[in-house]
Amino acid sequence: MEGNKMLTIKDLHAKVGDKEILKGINLNVKEGEIHAIMGPNGSGKSTLSSVLAGRDTFEVTEGEVIMDGKNLLELTPEERSWAGVFLGFQYPIEIPGVSNVNFMKSAVNEHRKQKGLEPLTSAQFLKLMREKMAIVGMDSSFSSRGVNVGFSGGEKKRNEIFQMAMLEPRLAILDETDSGLDVDALRIVATGVNNLKRPDNAFIVITHYQRLLDYIVPDVVHILYKGRIIKTAGKELALEVEQRGYDWLING
Amino acid sequence: MGELNYIYAPESPLTEQFRCRVPMKGTRQLFVVNGGVQGTRTPLSISLEKGQVMEEVLQVISVRTEGSPLEIAYKNNLHFGEGSQARIVLCSHTFTLDKFVTDEEVDITLDDRAVVDVVVMQNEHNEATHNTRFNITAGAGSVLKISFLTLHGGNIDNKVRVDINGEGANVDLSGLYLVDGKQMVSNSVEMNHNVPNCISSQLYKGVLDNDAVAKFSGIIYVKQDAQKIEAYQANHNLLLSERAKIHTEPQLEIYADDVKCSHGATIGRLDENELFYLRSRGVPMKEAKILQQMAFAYSVLEKISNAELRERMENLVEKRLRGEFSNCKDCSKNCC
Repeated sequence: MEGNKMLTIKDLHAKVGDKEILKGINLNVKEGEIHAIMGPNGSGKSTLSSVLAGRDTFEVTEGEVIMDGKNLLELTPEERSWAGVFLGFQYPIEIPGVSNVNFMKSAVNEHRKQKGLEPLTSAQFLKLMREKMAIVGMDSSFSSRGVNVGFSGGEKKRNEIFQMAMLEPRLAILDETDSGLDVDALRIVATGVNNLKRPDNAFIVITHYQRLLDYIVPDVVHILYKGRIIKTAGKELALEVEQRGYDWLING
Repeated sequence: MGELNYIYAPESPLTEQFRCRVPMKGTRQLFVVNGGVQGTRTPLSISLEKGQVMEEVLQVISVRTEGSPLEIAYKNNLHFGEGSQARIVLCSHTFTLDKFVTDEEVDITLDDRAVVDVVVMQNEHNEATHNTRFNITAGAGSVLKISFLTLHGGNIDNKVRVDINGEGANVDLSGLYLVDGKQMVSNSVEMNHNVPNCISSQLYKGVLDNDAVAKFSGIIYVKQDAQKIEAYQANHNLLLSERAKIHTEPQLEIYADDVKCSHGATIGRLDENELFYLRSRGVPMKEAKILQQMAFAYSVLEKISNAELRERMENLVEKRLRGEFSNCKDCSKNCC
């Protein structure tokens, strides 16, 4: 059964300074789908995810991004989050002095406020936090620590998935969540994602390698090259890229 | 504490709404009105005997009220005998919008092995000027910790001179100044290491907004024979507006050759990457900035060892950063 339309990206162009990085991206994501975006370094994968999340270092020069009928490009990063967009960062930011608890409490309660719900009590919040930490196998001692401060690469990525679990986004964009992870950490992250998959949400998984896609099986695979999607196919495309590299696509 | 002969004055007629009247657990309060201790009308003078341990925290609430000269000057004396222990909170407030000028001197003397913890909380209105000179001497093996929290005030000037006169003494100074509007806050520290084998540290942090101006001037002076000392000084500033100004002058003057000293100053803005990360999770811009500022202030606030006081101060700092003090007319708004 076909899911409902969720995200439509039409002819998206974006630049940083004078350098055009995205040169006309078209992408449609429906509810319940997992899309993988692959491509060599410098093809614009991270730029695409940053633009979708509202990073203002990139200037959108053309095109539109519509999510659930809203023009995403007109929204601030926090409004996009309330609209259900979540970006799992390739390099999660360390924020000394802000504890994971306080961070997530602010975020979760702000999401509730936007939905007209009362803030969670401390007890309710801690219960929720414990449940979600269990999903990613995160030790409870992490909750009182500064956001990502002193976390290993794997712990940071787990923290991203934990935050995603807390916020239950409609559309999660995971930007190279697999980079720097060993197989165990990769499995935990993938299990987290698979646990959070529902018929009414969707994922865009940006990755360099096929490896992550062994655990998170995509419905659609796109190859991004020089700011354009040059090929779109089913999950078998990822395997083919793993075996043959990108050259046959770029030169073909 | 019987020797102190001061009145516990919870039924202060000062103002009905004044929240500071509600003492924290294990705290004895004492009011100083326009420079004189309530009941005695003489400046504050406290002396702990040898070995005396003050179980309760002593909170000295100094207020300026109408009906007194606008300019007053007075000198307080805090003396801690050998091996004595005390925790003191010094708060200052202004109750009316008069253009008060307060010139205050505070002598703090720690005899050998005295252990003293002081928190200074300054919360005055935009027309008030308050100059305080702290003259501190630390005896052998004494431990002194002072945190200055300058939350609000038109023109606040804190000058601290410390003479470390006995070996093995440890002096920890910290300060947090939150300045906005046209406020001015100045902190200067003269840390004199006169003898060997002592430790001192200074951590001053400021958040400046609008047209505020702050100054930090600190010198660590190490005498020729004061070997094996450690002395650290840091001043960090967060500028929230393009017009706010900070003048910072960290200095070292060292005449001994076997010491560990460092000094440093930074001036910066809120980190954009952090801000985007917080916002991308749905924390609104304003809240995200408050979280960042609280995080910045945290390293000073965490020095307050009394957990209840620390929590109160954290709340105050947060309220202050949210701009809740800016409509301050008197001290009935629970900003203490």
